[in-house]
Amino acid sequence: MESIETEVLVVGGGATGLGVARDAAMRGFATVLVERKDLAEGTTGRYHGLLHSGGRYAVKDPRAARECAAENAILRRVAADSIEDTGGLFVTTPWDDVTFGDRFLAGCADTGVGVEEIDVADALRREPAVNAGIRRAFLVADASMDAWKLVWACARSAEQHGARILTYRRVVEVLRAADTVAGVVVVDSRSDEEMTIHARMTVNATGAWAGQLAALAGCRPVEVVPGKGIMIAMNHRIVNTVVNRCTMPSDGDIIVPIRTVSVVGTTDSPVADPDQLEVTQAEVDHMLDEGEKLVPGFRHARALRVWAGARPLFGARPPGDDDTRDITRAHALIDHAERDGIGGFVTITGGKATTFRLMAEETVDLVCRALDAGGPRPCRTAVEALPDSEPGAYYSVGSRLARREAHLLDDQLVCECELVSRQTLEEAVERRPTANLDDVRRALRLGMGPCQGGFCTYRATGIFHRLERLDQVTANTALLDFLQERWKGVHPILYGDQLRQARLDDWIYQGLMDVEHLPAVAAAAIGSVA
Amino acid sequence: MSGEGEIVVIGVGLAGLVAALRLAEGGRRVRVLAKGVGSTHLSGATVDVLGYAPFRVRSPAATLPEFAVANPHHPYALMGTAVVDDAVTWLKGRLSNPRYVGDLRRNFLLPTALGVAKPTAVAPQTMAVGDLTHGGCFVIVGLPGLKDFYPALVAGNLGSTVGIAGEAIEARAVDVDLTLDGRVDVGPLAYARRLDDPAFRAQLAARLHGRLGADDMVGLPAVLGLTDAEQAWEELEARLERPVFEIPTLPPSVPGVRLYGALSGALHRLGVSVTIGGEVLGAETHGGRVTGVHTETANGVRFHAAAGVVLATGGWAAGGLEMDSHWVVREPVLGLPVTGIPGGGRRFLPGYFDHHPLASTGVAVEGSLRPVDGDGRVVFTNVRVAGATLAGAEPWKEKSGDGLSLSTGYHAAMSMLAEED
Repeated sequence: MESIETEVLVVGGGATGLGVARDAAMRGFATVLVERKDLAEGTTGRYHGLLHSGGRYAVKDPRAARECAAENAILRRVAADSIEDTGGLFVTTPWDDVTFGDRFLAGCADTGVGVEEIDVADALRREPAVNAGIRRAFLVADASMDAWKLVWACARSAEQHGARILTYRRVVEVLRAADTVAGVVVVDSRSDEEMTIHARMTVNATGAWAGQLAALAGCRPVEVVPGKGIMIAMNHRIVNTVVNRCTMPSDGDIIVPIRTVSVVGTTDSPVADPDQLEVTQAEVDHMLDEGEKLVPGFRHARALRVWAGARPLFGARPPGDDDTRDITRAHALIDHAERDGIGGFVTITGGKATTFRLMAEETVDLVCRALDAGGPRPCRTAVEALPDSEPGAYYSVGSRLARREAHLLDDQLVCECELVSRQTLEEAVERRPTANLDDVRRALRLGMGPCQGGFCTYRATGIFHRLERLDQVTANTALLDFLQERWKGVHPILYGDQLRQARLDDWIYQGLMDVEHLPAVAAAAIGSVA
Repeated sequence: MSGEGEIVVIGVGLAGLVAALRLAEGGRRVRVLAKGVGSTHLSGATVDVLGYAPFRVRSPAATLPEFAVANPHHPYALMGTAVVDDAVTWLKGRLSNPRYVGDLRRNFLLPTALGVAKPTAVAPQTMAVGDLTHGGCFVIVGLPGLKDFYPALVAGNLGSTVGIAGEAIEARAVDVDLTLDGRVDVGPLAYARRLDDPAFRAQLAARLHGRLGADDMVGLPAVLGLTDAEQAWEELEARLERPVFEIPTLPPSVPGVRLYGALSGALHRLGVSVTIGGEVLGAETHGGRVTGVHTETANGVRFHAAAGVVLATGGWAAGGLEMDSHWVVREPVLGLPVTGIPGGGRRFLPGYFDHHPLASTGVAVEGSLRPVDGDGRVVFTNVRVAGATLAGAEPWKEKSGDGLSLSTGYHAAMSMLAEED
């Protein structure tokens, strides 16, 4: 069994974990991060993509609002390349209390959230699709943030500072030496090989899974409630500004324009297991109805994909209360030495993507104190830009098209919807020798556009296979997994044009290619041949 | 039914083309109206009659009778399975470039672009040569820049397949260094057009020279010419001195475009008007009959009087069936009743290969393909429904898509012609 040693071990490859790993590495700690799947596969990769201005929490959760406002300004400097500066609107729809706007303004003033009330006519000029019946409108500094890009930038930066990022490693055991956590044992989910990682400090950055890891470590329970939120990506940019309803946070009250789509979200309901997030028909219908209130005609737009994420909500669940939204969205840092008498172990949970950097900073501050790092090691993540963000330019939705146009004649287009070229795909494969098709999907947005992989699934499989990265059985399995992964996100929203598209994809894969009878799977999926 | 009036066929997929042509051959005046080109450009242009039921079908002729008994609401059962044989014979008589071969007695096993052996009853002879039924040695050829065909993937999967009696299949891939003017991003149609040129075919053959074994059969992506595939194929076989066959690529389908060309050309020669871009918006009805349809034109809405209508607008993929965000299902052209709509619960299940409740939803018909309501009463006496709009079939799972379109299109025409007598 392989065994390695490090100073700081981070468990969890979401925004928080990568933020901690980068910060720790930048402060000179030998750092290792383990993630049970691919980076950003959990909550980070399943959120609506909003960089909060803080407005959402201005009335309800002042601490969260303050943190968001400060972090928004910082991330715009250090992670510009992951951010599209869309701006945000809070609008009072005919279903909302007009006077809430006054509380909203007061709350923003109290918490340092920049806000300006604008004429309804100006708001509608800016966003003509928004319900013309709105009665008030407020402009804030909301933006959309590409969580995958952000996490990968953190990973690259962490690696540049000497950190090791190990994906597809699941923690199966937390090592204890008397009253101290001494590291973990992980299993590589691809090779089944075990690895022991000894660490002076283990950081539990597993978000909604934090309770599970704390239990493995033998701590008193960490009360994290996984709050399920569903989101639907609609084809096209229905709006180009983040549009929120100016009311207390509720279901389906926000539309985020991000990359080529608009995401409507979200719901909030407590679930027992963050790995079991079923999307129900009722939830989909509810989102569509709420979307219709913000943007009339929403139901006629094409829904591309639906998914659910598990927010890590820290705090005891109010008895009999099904709405987890009353739990603060601020984060919680638990020093288990102090709380449970177990050293070498801290938990950072709660919070939100917008505040991931602050959470990391506070966590590594604690690590410094606990490891008695011998003098101050100041945090630099608020000032040092991530790789690719040094020029300070925001992400532009037209950037892919520009790149495509520059290589129109010398590169092949593999995914027409998301403008992924063959060269980009092959580079991604080369960069990450263990990547599978689904990892590449997340990295490049392959197959995430309107046709949901109808054409590029076959092409990407063929290209991977040709690069001799995949043997025959693996190639077949990868293709089938990819089809299943796509199906998972579309089947609850199959109506209108997306139903049409899904049946066209069936036509290609089942009718034309007979994918059900691929040699690797014929027996399992279909029954044996008579 | 009056012999004087015009029959309006809505849709130019295989079902609509077949119905229109058979009606025109039977002496009816026919007008074809379509929103756009249809299923032919997507399909592999093989006639898959019945491939799985649910196990792989060796002989559609032998299996169809029991299949009809087990699936009484399937169009094959409603029409009677003898129709399928008649329709296949009729179609083969109308296709010459390339010719179609095979019949219902046994399925070919033809390689797909994934290298799966797909059962199909009738196929262009440019494809049928690739029959895997008795094994053999295959070389799969890749063309540079063509992104819709991956020869190594095909060969790899063929290599782990066997013939029906366990005969070995050997397969390997070769890439030929023959670009289209150095282009790196090429679709199937671009190669097909170029391979209409004998000089380019000679270049292709030359690049393969010395790279083939004595017993090899040579599989190429289905791009062997658009206008004269028969000639291109024969010439390539002669030059390579080996059997050559085509494998359908991702759409657009070159063999499908050829099929469309052959059938629409036959319609043209019989004086049938085919309007693409003439979306039918709705119909006028009177006394249980459709009296005409409205189409969208550049110059406003136009009315076409109709003595009868063949509705061949396709299924979900083509827009012949629709479901909105409130999960309301409709047949948008004539507003026909749709049957088999899953009630209340889920329309689709979480597993991609699950048996989805919405899978066989469609328009129910009686034996002569006239649409019926939930009580089995005919809705419009002068309407026939053909193709993927029909309820009761799962074309992709059964591998019956083109067989259903062909036979129901044919039967719709025959039953209209019979009524006239």
